[in-house]
Amino acid sequence: MTSLPALSLRALTKRYDGGLLALDGFDLEIPDGEFFGLLGPNGAGKTTLISAVCNLIRVTSGEIEIFGRPHHEPEARRMMGLAEQDVNLDRFLDVEETLVYHGGYYGMPRPQAVRRAREMMDVFDLRAKAGVRAPMLSGGMRRRLLLARALMHEPRLVILDEPTAGVDFELRIELWQYIRRLHEQGTTILLTTHYLEEAQELCQDIALIRGGRLIARDSPSRLLASYEADSLADVYVKAMAA
Amino acid sequence: MSTAAVNEPTRPTTPSTLLERRRGLISLGGREVLRVLKLWTQTVAAPVVASFLFILVFGLSLSGRIRHVDGFDYRQFIVPGLITMAMVQAAYSNNSSSVFQARFDRYLNDVLASPMRNWEINLGLSLGGVVRALLIGAALLLLALPITHVPIHDPLVLVAGVALGLTLFSSLGVVVGIYAKTWDHAGFVQNILIVPLSFLGGVFYSVSSLPSPWSEVSHANPIFYLVQAVRYGFLGTSDVPVAVALGITAILAAVTVAWSAWLFHSGRRLKP
Repeated sequence: MTSLPALSLRALTKRYDGGLLALDGFDLEIPDGEFFGLLGPNGAGKTTLISAVCNLIRVTSGEIEIFGRPHHEPEARRMMGLAEQDVNLDRFLDVEETLVYHGGYYGMPRPQAVRRAREMMDVFDLRAKAGVRAPMLSGGMRRRLLLARALMHEPRLVILDEPTAGVDFELRIELWQYIRRLHEQGTTILLTTHYLEEAQELCQDIALIRGGRLIARDSPSRLLASYEADSLADVYVKAMAA
Repeated sequence: MSTAAVNEPTRPTTPSTLLERRRGLISLGGREVLRVLKLWTQTVAAPVVASFLFILVFGLSLSGRIRHVDGFDYRQFIVPGLITMAMVQAAYSNNSSSVFQARFDRYLNDVLASPMRNWEINLGLSLGGVVRALLIGAALLLLALPITHVPIHDPLVLVAGVALGLTLFSSLGVVVGIYAKTWDHAGFVQNILIVPLSFLGGVFYSVSSLPSPWSEVSHANPIFYLVQAVRYGFLGTSDVPVAVALGITAILAAVTVAWSAWLFHSGRRLKP
């Protein structure tokens, strides 16, 4: 753990070429080691925020720092891992190659990348599919491979955009167990999800966003108290209706 | 799924040696080459067979009627242009399709989010086309040599011409792969621009033998200069001075490299 925040956003604004204002002067700080939930309806700006942090969109204005470093610096990017909402696996690579080449992109020596890829395949039950190309995998396996790829280079900040979208109940439980374990080992987690009961259980801090603006941020218990709600789902409904 | 401790967070180490700093580039270039090799029947064998058929059919059938061009047997005369045409088409089509596919399926995001520099991503994505073109060029040369006995007059000019041509068309492929919104866009440039200009670039004939104004019009064709440079490297003859051929190809290569570098630097078309 460090005193530097894992993620710091200052006055982050993103206006797309078509004129849509997706983020409007957004400020956010996530301490190192926190399990942080980012909740909001579709189109609220969650994926835009994540894309800005991960260098996948052009930011209109504002600053982004990862552990105190500007997000565009290679050292900052090396500390981040991203599992996107959409399954975006390389169709020409098999499972092992997907992980090994990803390790290479992040500067891992090949023997280390191969060793780490085999560890990740064991953890995510993908070893039997090591030589199978991504398009031939089942939906659940592709989702596991996405998560394994995000963790390949041992990032200190893991960003999970709807990691359990479209997976069955059993796999969802397994993924949450793994993500919880990851957090217990000291990794900072930034999570977006539509499963509010799980966000309530897992996250230490939750931000609610709507229309590209932060409308509430606190621990789940304090959010329940301040919105006089019984569950995070109630908080969500009240906050979004306000 | 195991919940064993596998991700003990570690501080990132700053790469020190040149090799360590360029692992991303090596890995991305390796991925592009792997794609070419996995699809070798489509990426290498098919263009080699098609171009070799040109050498066989045109060379053998027309060499009885067209005895000599610029003092060379017709079979020998067409080899440099056909090799050039096959190589530039491969370099372009490989990179345009690979980059477009990576954007379309969004696995390019895995590369864009990585610590690689913009120029490394640009160069890494270009390497597949270069390697594919070199494999095709080498295979065609090996096949053509025993049949045509084509000489290599000036290896340095040949290497320079091939290097500039591959730089030009690899970068153009990356640029079009970035701009393309559909597969048709990438195919349009290949089918409507590169293939016709290749055929009209003096591959099968000497432009100096064309009547006016077609001889002069041919000089506006950028591929004409590349064919001339490569032909000089093989045969020691060209329709324009070799320095002019290399110079114009170099200028065009610099323009496409600058264009692709600007796209990666600015993020335009790559990132919303």
